[in-house]
Amino acid sequence: MCNGCVFCLVLLTVALGAQALTPSHHLSLSDVDRLKGLLSQPFTDLASAYYSIVGLSKLGASVDACQFLKAQLDPMSVDSLFFAAEASQAIADCEMPVFNETRDILLAAVSEDSTVTQIFRAVSALSSLGLPLASQEVVAALVARIAKEDNVLAITTALQTATRLSQQAELGGILEEIEDLAARLDDLGGVYLQFEEGLEATALFVTAAYTLSDHADTEPPLKEDQVIQLVNSVFSKKSWDSRSEAFSVACAAAALSSNRFHVPVIVSTQGPATVSHSQPILHLLVTDILSNPLASANLLVESAQAVASKSVVLSQAPFSLRNGIFELNFMASQPASGYYQFTVAVTGDSRLVANQVELKVKVSTEVAVTNMDLSVVDKDQSIGTKTSRVDYPFKAKGSFTADSHQNFAMNFQLVDANTGVELTPHQTFVRFHNQKTGQEVVFVAEPDSKNLYKFELDTAERKSEFDSMSGTYVLHLIVGDATLENPILWNVADVVLKFLDEEAPAAIQSKTLYMPKPDIQHLFREPEKKPPTVVSNTFTALVLSPFLLLLILWFKLGANISNFSLSPSSVLFHVGHACMLGLMYVYWTHLNMFQTLKYLAIIGSLTFLAGNRMLAQKAVKRYGQSSTLTFFTRSTCEN
Amino acid sequence: MSNSVISVISRFLEEYTTKTSNKLKVVDAYLFYILLTGALQFLYCLLVGTFPFNSFLAGFISCVGAFILGVCLRIQINPDNKGDFLTISQERAFADFLLAHTVLHLVVINFIG
Repeated sequence: MCNGCVFCLVLLTVALGAQALTPSHHLSLSDVDRLKGLLSQPFTDLASAYYSIVGLSKLGASVDACQFLKAQLDPMSVDSLFFAAEASQAIADCEMPVFNETRDILLAAVSEDSTVTQIFRAVSALSSLGLPLASQEVVAALVARIAKEDNVLAITTALQTATRLSQQAELGGILEEIEDLAARLDDLGGVYLQFEEGLEATALFVTAAYTLSDHADTEPPLKEDQVIQLVNSVFSKKSWDSRSEAFSVACAAAALSSNRFHVPVIVSTQGPATVSHSQPILHLLVTDILSNPLASANLLVESAQAVASKSVVLSQAPFSLRNGIFELNFMASQPASGYYQFTVAVTGDSRLVANQVELKVKVSTEVAVTNMDLSVVDKDQSIGTKTSRVDYPFKAKGSFTADSHQNFAMNFQLVDANTGVELTPHQTFVRFHNQKTGQEVVFVAEPDSKNLYKFELDTAERKSEFDSMSGTYVLHLIVGDATLENPILWNVADVVLKFLDEEAPAAIQSKTLYMPKPDIQHLFREPEKKPPTVVSNTFTALVLSPFLLLLILWFKLGANISNFSLSPSSVLFHVGHACMLGLMYVYWTHLNMFQTLKYLAIIGSLTFLAGNRMLAQKAVKRYGQSSTLTFFTRSTCEN
Repeated sequence: MSNSVISVISRFLEEYTTKTSNKLKVVDAYLFYILLTGALQFLYCLLVGTFPFNSFLAGFISCVGAFILGVCLRIQINPDNKGDFLTISQERAFADFLLAHTVLHLVVINFIG
């Protein structure tokens, strides 16, 4: 490969932006083993045999099942012939018997009336069995079928069929289908690209597209980002539901690792990406998506930039290859401890896709505490300070006493044990622990501008944190950071603190914070006070008593029902009216307004009709009476 | 003063018992009954309290409504008022009375709780 065009390619990739997509999923060695395991499960029919045998051959394993294929073959069925022929191609020295009728059956299946799957199986069987076929006829049938069956799987199968035809045939129309199909892929968050029909359809499309592109020697119309997104979609699932799904993934993996145009490359670290003085070498693996190491690859660090200070530590440094692993001695550039952003580029093959990768590398180191000085300082500075130096990991000989007039002070430095550079780790704590009461108070020690750590305890000011409990406190220094290999927990000294206004039960307070609180009893709403039953009963009787009075009055007035005519309408009216009053009572006890209105409408209309008739009859009778009376009066008057 | 009141009342009662027809007296008795019922309910409310307030309102409004409808009926069937109600026969007045009462009962039962 010419280094010049490779360099141009690298520059172009850099120019297009360092944010190029890299694969987030691939098949690790254990994934490949799991895939092989699923495909190696025992098979009982030809279709399963086909998936297993061909799938395993794509992954580099082989199965000898020639006898099984010959036994299960049904020479009258196109599907059976297809499975057996394809599987036998994957096994060495396995030939399927060819009968006279075989060719006729297979050729008959190649027509516009068969489905694309039928055409594909017939064409594949013909080519695997070494029988002649007319490529142009197949192309015509395929084009006709694609127009009728416009779904993803059909077109993918058509692409696969075209890979079995002669290179002289006119495959241009079918090649264009790759681009149309690629347009149908769904973009999920810019990371995944897949068909809504699922993983199997996407994997089969990838296989078909690359196999056909290799066959027709035309670069597939897929952009680099699209290829990476397809890789993410196909290899994100690590346990497969069925043999056919595993087969499609195996075929896609084989197609993507060994085609002539696009080979996605995976750069990964062996173990955690950490270097230190004890382990100065950074190990990287460069593989294809099946985790096979790439034979002709070169790895180069384009830049290594410190995350904290943004200074570039290394630039354009090559990795050396040893036993298939790329190595670089990063500590030779003497980096300070911290995180570094590496941009590495893989060169050596123009087919490589996603060959610029960003990695985060951690440089860790060991810390040492130096110049630890403990002192008790008087607040008014009248009495001289008493400073003791303590060396790590020893404890100070005497204990330090500080009462409310004095401050306890601690000064120290944290340096890199290997280079002597001053460090400022994330965690520098000073912990006081009272052995008797179990109290623990933690303070943070902060560095000043010269990276010198200072801690001062003002006894009077801080007495609330200690709950004013005087006594002996054990002092610990805690130092920790992600980039430190040796975090420190150092018992430095014992400090006796004396507080004024000692309050006794201080230690118990923190404990009651986490005990269950007293139960709250729910108070239900109290019902309203009702008057005693006697009173309400009395008044009920009282309120009903005027009815008796009414009956008496009516009797006295001589009201009677002697004029009651037993005509059907008046009977019906009175019955209906009684029903309506009864409905009112039922409404009060059982029904709701809607039901009542419904019944009322029925009863009411009957009552109305009956009542109307009854009252009309009464009116007639009344007018008849009064007119007869007038007649008699007139007649007597005339007389 | 009281003399004139007593004489007015006794005159009124005398005229009432002689001049009013029986039919009207029947209706008047009914009205008196309704009045008493309403008054007793109100007395209970004053003495004991308004605890089921909705029930009290339902009962009281029932009495008031029935009284008003009774008064309307009485006015409409009084032959002395025939001139004011030419289009409304006695039967029609009674039918209106019944219909209005149906609606009143519906509302009262709904509210009684």
